[in-house]
Amino acid sequence: MVSQLLKKISRVLYNIVVLFIPWEMRIKKIESHFGSGVASYFIFLRWLFGINIVLTIMTGAFIVLPELLAGPPFGTTRSKTIPKDHLASAQDLDTIWSLGGYLQYSVLFYGYYGNVRKIGSAGYRLPLAYFMVGMAVFAYSFITLLRKMAKNSRMSLSGASDENYTFCWRVFCAWDYLIGNPEAAESKGAAIVNSIREAIVEEQEKKKDTSLAVLISLRILANILVLLSLTGSIYIIYFVVDRSQKLEQEKPELTLWEKNEVSVVVSLITMIAPSAFELVAQLEMYHPRTSLRFQLARVLVLYLGNLYSLIIALLDKVNSMSSAISVGPGNLSDSTSYLATISQSTEDNLSTIIPDITERQNSTLTRTLLELNNSMTTVKSTTSSRQPMRMQSLLNQTVLYEYNTRSQQDPCWETYVGQEMLKLSIIDMIFTVASILLIDFIRGLVVRYLSDCCCWDLESNFPEYGEFKIAENVLHLIYNQGMIWMGAFFSPCLPAFNVLKLVGLMYLRSWAVLTCNVPHQQVFRASRSNNFYLTMLLFMLFLCMLPTIFAIVRYRPSQYCGPFSGQEKIYDIISETIANDFPLWFSKVMSYVTSPVVVLPALLLLFMLIYYLQSIARSLKVTNSQLRLQLQTERTDDKKKVFQLAAAHLQAPEGGDKKPEQESDITSMESSARSTSPPRRNGSITNFESPVRHGNSIRTITQSASRPDIPRAAGATQSPTVPVRQKHKAEPVASSSFRMYSSPSVPQRQVRRVEYIPIRHSGYLGSTSGSCRSKSYHNMAYKPCTRYAENSDPLFRKTLRPMHTEPAVITAQSYVGHRAHSTRYVIINEHEARKKLMRSNTRIPRHYRLADEPTEIVELYPRNVKCYIPRPPHRSHQPHLSEEEEEEDPKSSTRRGSFRQSKRPRPLSDLHQTAGFYIGDTINSQLSMEQGLYSDEEEGDQEEDWVNDPQTNIRGPESAHRYGEPYVKPKTKHKVEPSLTESDSASLASSSDQQNSSTDQYIQVIHNKKKYLKSNAKLTKTKSKSSVKLNVSGTNDLVCSNV
Amino acid sequence: MWDCTFFTRKEILRLHGRYHELAPHLVPMDYTNDPDVKIPLALIVNMPELKENPFRNRIVESFSEDGQGNLSFNDFVDMFSVLSEMAPRELKAIFAFKIYDFNVDNYICKEDLEKTLNKLTKEELTPEEVNLVCEKAIEEADLDGDNKLSFADFENMISRAPDFLSTFHIRI
Repeated sequence: MVSQLLKKISRVLYNIVVLFIPWEMRIKKIESHFGSGVASYFIFLRWLFGINIVLTIMTGAFIVLPELLAGPPFGTTRSKTIPKDHLASAQDLDTIWSLGGYLQYSVLFYGYYGNVRKIGSAGYRLPLAYFMVGMAVFAYSFITLLRKMAKNSRMSLSGASDENYTFCWRVFCAWDYLIGNPEAAESKGAAIVNSIREAIVEEQEKKKDTSLAVLISLRILANILVLLSLTGSIYIIYFVVDRSQKLEQEKPELTLWEKNEVSVVVSLITMIAPSAFELVAQLEMYHPRTSLRFQLARVLVLYLGNLYSLIIALLDKVNSMSSAISVGPGNLSDSTSYLATISQSTEDNLSTIIPDITERQNSTLTRTLLELNNSMTTVKSTTSSRQPMRMQSLLNQTVLYEYNTRSQQDPCWETYVGQEMLKLSIIDMIFTVASILLIDFIRGLVVRYLSDCCCWDLESNFPEYGEFKIAENVLHLIYNQGMIWMGAFFSPCLPAFNVLKLVGLMYLRSWAVLTCNVPHQQVFRASRSNNFYLTMLLFMLFLCMLPTIFAIVRYRPSQYCGPFSGQEKIYDIISETIANDFPLWFSKVMSYVTSPVVVLPALLLLFMLIYYLQSIARSLKVTNSQLRLQLQTERTDDKKKVFQLAAAHLQAPEGGDKKPEQESDITSMESSARSTSPPRRNGSITNFESPVRHGNSIRTITQSASRPDIPRAAGATQSPTVPVRQKHKAEPVASSSFRMYSSPSVPQRQVRRVEYIPIRHSGYLGSTSGSCRSKSYHNMAYKPCTRYAENSDPLFRKTLRPMHTEPAVITAQSYVGHRAHSTRYVIINEHEARKKLMRSNTRIPRHYRLADEPTEIVELYPRNVKCYIPRPPHRSHQPHLSEEEEEEDPKSSTRRGSFRQSKRPRPLSDLHQTAGFYIGDTINSQLSMEQGLYSDEEEGDQEEDWVNDPQTNIRGPESAHRYGEPYVKPKTKHKVEPSLTESDSASLASSSDQQNSSTDQYIQVIHNKKKYLKSNAKLTKTKSKSSVKLNVSGTNDLVCSNV
Repeated sequence: MWDCTFFTRKEILRLHGRYHELAPHLVPMDYTNDPDVKIPLALIVNMPELKENPFRNRIVESFSEDGQGNLSFNDFVDMFSVLSEMAPRELKAIFAFKIYDFNVDNYICKEDLEKTLNKLTKEELTPEEVNLVCEKAIEEADLDGDNKLSFADFENMISRAPDFLSTFHIRI
């Protein structure tokens, strides 16, 4: 119960906390409408807001408040009073606008703070605090930034492995069942649609691909364009700054344009260039997230270029200023003119001080001197010192000003830098607001209300509604924050100003997004961790810290303003404090600690530590990726196992033979083939009606195949040959069966076959003596038909099979199709078998092709018959013709497959002739018998012969078939093996083109003939040939009649 | 009764109050006779807790004994018990599966997914998008390759979802 109560309380607290998270609801609303990308901008904005709050508190509590409370009030010291000659214009809008006048002498800037070491009754060390806080601002920013990055990367690491169920989770876990409020439901629905769209886009991005060369060249081009525009913009800024300085020097009166040229140009560049980059990015065709990053990086470089050109100009001024001070330290008067002259070089200077200065330029030296409060002597000294100054600085254009300034005032360069940064920030804000109003709001209004009275659709064509550009806006935030960091040391109130600015920006932007922006067309998920933004911010922080640190270390603080006035270097405050305010032992310790004796080892230690941590991180990364890989493989293994299980389920009913065979490799197949073959040899003649008795359906097939032979044998006078054939057949069949085994579903098919066979037998047997053959034909045709018709793909698979050795793949296939298409698989197996056969016999493929459709089978017969009919004179030719006619790509493919298979084990190849080839088998057997002596070279011949032969064999019922069984067997085996290899090459050649193949075949056929003839001559089996021919014709007739 | 659920006695009584509110004329306050009372789907779906839920009909249907969406008080308590914070993930997964299995064939097939998506997005996605998402979702979660999600697939997927427990939850 207690735990429950605690839970409830924590939940309530959580809800309350959510209420206090600034803009949480607003951001959620935006997120639901515009997706996480846009929301990430606002979340980033809020986070920056948090940082600035802390910075504001730091500077406010430790610098501004003490100074206000305990410091000398305004007007009591020289650094806190406005010089008399500026008092009149101190309240002018112009002066205020350029942060001069009263603003300049306020807590806003460095110059206002006094250098009294202890202020107030409590003895607050303001200078020390000022320095410490200035450093703490950077330290805090660094620490929070790094911590946030570390946290994000941790989150992204833990979340990275969850990507596997993107879609499922987005569907099944998307709805929050707690939602009971219609508005929340609506926004949740919108958010879900958005997230799903994001996932879809990501998915589509994965699929996209274009030619690599084009892509690379496009990307190179894009990068060149970007580089050009970057250098162009930097050059323009440089040129404009230079020109403005020259103008200031040469012309007495500056027009409004000339005064504001630099700032306008810079802001124009910052506005236009990002859009140009975006256009360029479209060339590159990156994944949207990648392109976003590129865009961000480019814009960042652009902004940095701008910022740095400004900073360099500023530091340049500071440099000349401080050198001027060192030469002529005698100036006592305070005036803003010096600052104003400096500010002329900066783009954003809108002050009217410039005119004053120019006026002064016009006036003669003496006049200016008279106007000044300075005594004549100091004036003279300054003028005399002017000459060497000029030589040193070599800055011709500034010489005049330097003269003026030196004679007029004590320059406070820190205040000047602070002014510039604040000015920059203000102008940036104005531009932001203006661009939101003009580009988004006005455009939205125009598009919305003028689309009716315009000739084209404004909403979908040209102006459209503005898109919310995440990249640019985030970059703008970073840029803005960079300015704050840069100026915070010189203008302690800058963070406070930035807080106000960010608040305003948050409201303005969110309002603009919700009212006049449309969601980005390509929604995509900003990477879950916004580390990229943070990395850029870190980069910015570092780069912005550099000038500040440089100024602190390098330049001498102003002599008569600021907390560090009178010191040689700003950081001297530390050593001074240590020396004066700490006990002696502490300063001793400090001197030891800062001596090289300690610092060097410490530095070394640090380096070592960094290296060590780095190496640990690297190794962790490696192990992490390995673990992830392992996880993935395990998952796929799981899937495989499931597949196998399912396959096992399917196979279980089909009989025990399959399983071992599936597992078994080629060798096992061979063995099984052998094992199966012997029984057949023995009993094949008599057995043909007892297919069942072979336990395996495959065997039954073989038997069925053998059947035709058997009858022939029975009918024919040459009974001895029959067994040989049968053996051959049996072997091939066995091989085929093996292949078939490999696929689980085979058995079913085989069973069917068996069924078919009996039926036909019954039908045909009664008809004629040739019925046996006809049956065999039917079987052939039939099976092929089914196979072919159903599996064009299977062929390929089969061909691939040898490589597939993994059972999982096959099982998977079988699994997919098993119920509906169990027959298919079987067919496939047969195909393989046939292919094997094919290599030996091109005919068979033909048959298949012809047989593509069951109805065609009937037609096929006639074709064959026709072919055969012409044949009688030349058997070999006829088959070729038929081959040519019928050969198609699939055939070639099948051949290839068969070849591959044949390559492996020779015995198998011998066995290649499948049940489907009964006819072919018989032919083979005949050939083998006939060609027994030919041996290797004849394979091609054999094939063709077989092709020719089957028909002949069939027709010539058993006349030629049974010659010398005993020797034929071994011979045939030998032959078959070599033939396979040869046939492979031949088939390969043929496979490329049908025509080629046909020609090849022709040639081969011719060879065959010769060989055939030879063989005949050798064997003196001319009878067989003739008989075969005769048979063929006879069979054809028979077939025809049957058909 | 309350050892079968994740509710305390008090909460069950409160639930009964809600149940009674739904159909005051149907439901007696006194359950001592164990009357066979059922509230039709249309009334239950109008509860504020369910009203905005795109799967409200499916929720009620999958918890009703007759599959038609008529809930007895036991079904009613079961429903909120499963949807309560206390219910374990496995139980929630079972009923989530039932809810998303629109055609009650014990598989989440493509049509179920399409329906889920369309309810979820109020048919804002184009058919192609829906199709793609369905295919992808099945591809991701389907471990046995039958092109539909069995409960094993679903549970495997949902058990790894980080926010399933927090979102599949109705407070009453």
